[in-house]
Amino acid sequence: MISALLAPLIAVIVAPFFKPREAAVLSAVAFFAAFVGLLIDAFTGAYYRVDLVQAAEPVGNIYMFGDTVSHAFGFTIAFVSAMVALYSYPYMAHRFEEMGLGEDEFKKYWFLHNLYAASMLWLVYAGNLILLYVFLEISLVTSFLLIYMYGYGNRQWVALLYFVWTHIAGALALVGFLLIGFENKTLALDSIKTVSFLAWLLVFLGMIIKLPGFGAHIWLPWAHAEAPTPVSALLSPLTVGLAAYVLLRIYFIEPSFIIDHRIPIFAYGVLTSVYAGLAVFKQNDYKRLLAYSTVSQMGYILIAFTLGAAGILGVVIQYISHAFGKSILFMTAGAIIATFHGLRDLNKMSGMHEFVPTISNAALLGFMNLSGILTIGMIGEFYILKGLADTFGLPSAINSIAMATMLSVVIVFIISGLYSFYTMKRIYYGTPADYSKVLVHRLLDSPLYVIAILSILLLLPPFATWFIDALVKFLGVA
Amino acid sequence: MELTIPLIILALGAAFGLRKPEISLVTALVALALSIVVEAAILVSAMIAFVAILNIAALFLMKKSYLRGVDYALVSLMLIATVVALYSTSFAMLILAFILVSTPTYMLVMASESGAKVDVGVKYITFMVVATILFIIGAALTIYGGSVNSESIQTVGICLLVLGIAMEVGAAPLHYWVPDVFDTADPIPASIIASLAKFVPFVIAFKILFTVNTEKALLFIGVIAAISMLAGNIGALTSNKPARILAYSTVANMGYIIAALTVFYKPEFVYLAFAGVLLQLFANAFGKIGFFTAIREEGTNSVFSYIMALSFIGLPPLLGFWGKFYILAALIYANVMWLAVLLVINSAMSVPYYIRLANLLSGKPNKGLALCIIGISAIIMLLTVVPPNWLIDSSKVLVGYFKLGGV
Repeated sequence: MISALLAPLIAVIVAPFFKPREAAVLSAVAFFAAFVGLLIDAFTGAYYRVDLVQAAEPVGNIYMFGDTVSHAFGFTIAFVSAMVALYSYPYMAHRFEEMGLGEDEFKKYWFLHNLYAASMLWLVYAGNLILLYVFLEISLVTSFLLIYMYGYGNRQWVALLYFVWTHIAGALALVGFLLIGFENKTLALDSIKTVSFLAWLLVFLGMIIKLPGFGAHIWLPWAHAEAPTPVSALLSPLTVGLAAYVLLRIYFIEPSFIIDHRIPIFAYGVLTSVYAGLAVFKQNDYKRLLAYSTVSQMGYILIAFTLGAAGILGVVIQYISHAFGKSILFMTAGAIIATFHGLRDLNKMSGMHEFVPTISNAALLGFMNLSGILTIGMIGEFYILKGLADTFGLPSAINSIAMATMLSVVIVFIISGLYSFYTMKRIYYGTPADYSKVLVHRLLDSPLYVIAILSILLLLPPFATWFIDALVKFLGVA
Repeated sequence: MELTIPLIILALGAAFGLRKPEISLVTALVALALSIVVEAAILVSAMIAFVAILNIAALFLMKKSYLRGVDYALVSLMLIATVVALYSTSFAMLILAFILVSTPTYMLVMASESGAKVDVGVKYITFMVVATILFIIGAALTIYGGSVNSESIQTVGICLLVLGIAMEVGAAPLHYWVPDVFDTADPIPASIIASLAKFVPFVIAFKILFTVNTEKALLFIGVIAAISMLAGNIGALTSNKPARILAYSTVANMGYIIAALTVFYKPEFVYLAFAGVLLQLFANAFGKIGFFTAIREEGTNSVFSYIMALSFIGLPPLLGFWGKFYILAALIYANVMWLAVLLVINSAMSVPYYIRLANLLSGKPNKGLALCIIGISAIIMLLTVVPPNWLIDSSKVLVGYFKLGGV
């Protein structure tokens, strides 16, 4: 159902002309329609392609195509964007009021928000590396403008930091793409035959900055913490993980780079995840804490990349579960900010469950997603462990490498679980602080539950069996 | 010579134009139209003609000028020289084109609504004369060195030629006149110097270097390009006045384009480099016209200023992206990886100041002709939403005219 991809386009064009509330509903409906279409495609394993234009060498044929992996990323993006659109209305109304801006500002906001979400959605259906790069940069500039105009703190500096880092990431990948174009005389994904070491390295480095890995992560806590919260709820769950999608597409063409350097990449993933996971404990700002948790979760993706076919399945599911969990969590942070007038300092929060029980319960569901408990995250962790066993064998006294890798992955999982529930305790449980019970706007909490329900549904049959079977079949997992 | 008729029309128009500027305006446009239909690859000529038309329209914005009437003809003359440079394979004609495109700017730079700005003119003319001499001596030495098979003469020639271009277009390390002149001259003449005047030096440089086809001085060209990108970006990052930011942005952009010159010794990829150069020059020209007009109008619509800034940054699918894309592709194909990586880093460095520029010039609605000029400059950046195959084809045709056939 390629027409599912056109629904967001309508939202981009039409939404700015409606009143803010109607625009929110319209955007949500458009993205939700796309979600339903793509979910059905994912279950049925549909494949389609549409040729757009034939460009001169080295660009080659530019087309859009959808396969099961595209659908898996696609329905996640469409679904989270739909929920964030609903959530944006009360939150941004609060933010504009705080900044002294009028309702007219919503026009700009809807255009940028919808274009941002739609460009991410189209990115996973791009059939040419240049088209993919185009969507990557559109998503970058729209999110940049949203941070630049409506962010918190030193927002212009933060926005530029974000732009420069991710632009470097994109440009490095572009040089890699051009090398691929030089070797293959085309950048169409179906015609690329080889990817040389240097090209792979450049794309990998670029995507490591965007993902981000340890060391290249310094821009992320700033950008994700200071962005207006609906934008954080798209940036962190959806955008950074798209780097994994780009790597995935190159991996399908030529996996040797990852396979040949399996151990260092694996170790780097563990380092990223452990470092960022431990850093979460030190944070005192709710949104910054969540940003570090994102870095830690992206470490999972790097780990899963090195683990063969089951690991690749793990990458896809990890993307989905992280997207669901993190979007819920950022929206809880935003709900507290909007309800308690800018409250985001953890030292001033305690026992918040007393005042905002719906937000607290949603946060619990979000953290369950991150730590892989009773949600789709569980399947992700299962496939990562299966990939480990497939790749390194079962741990035993004589198989020390399997022992070491299994142990480090288990430690990574445990750290995620620990910081999740430590944070829950710090914010929502314990002695209630000095606030009074308030009514939370309906659109600030209900979208969170819709996401949570889907993340649980996808763990249970029949959804789980349809969906996982389609992915297993597509990726050829034994 | 197909261009004789437009030249005669132009001369007559300019002569009458001092009395009645309208006559000159009409004859300038007629000459423009006549000059572009003369050869193949008409789309490139038409695009350059479009730059010239926007220049003329921008001049029309100035209520008075000491040159009124003649200024339209001068812009039109620059276009004719550019078309000559694109199609001529004669060395003498190319040097003539170089001088013809350079001298009109000597007069235009002094134009302003409050009489002639002689001090700016003196500064500019001094630099330009030195640049022209360097360029001509360098070009002659390069060709002569080739005919007597002296590598040392040829290398010296290429170095002088590149230095001449660097000074003429305002690339570091000979860029000192650019911020001064762009800041003190009236914005409209500055926009002409920053747009229409930039094509010819590069076209001629490509032709001469392609003809001698030596790998000598390749590193020299690369280093000039690298210094220019870096000096331009650092200068722009530390400037606060829009005109100075634009001046340093010119320095950086010229660096990107000089980088493409390093591909000249690989004939199979020259068309790619040249396509990149043309696109980058178009992006630079339209962006500069739009921004300088916005400076004159003290601001513009924020949508327009952001589109132009993002095009300069190199955001796909805007015009500026494809320029950098093809230059990068050519550099990678020719295996000049270090310059390709430097170009990428520099294009990321340029983000903050273009955003600042867009911000500084945002938030004031324009009317009438100014709105048209800025709007067209911005909307034309969207021309490349469909990949510019037409330019690649035109570039292949134009490369056919690269080999010089003698004097």
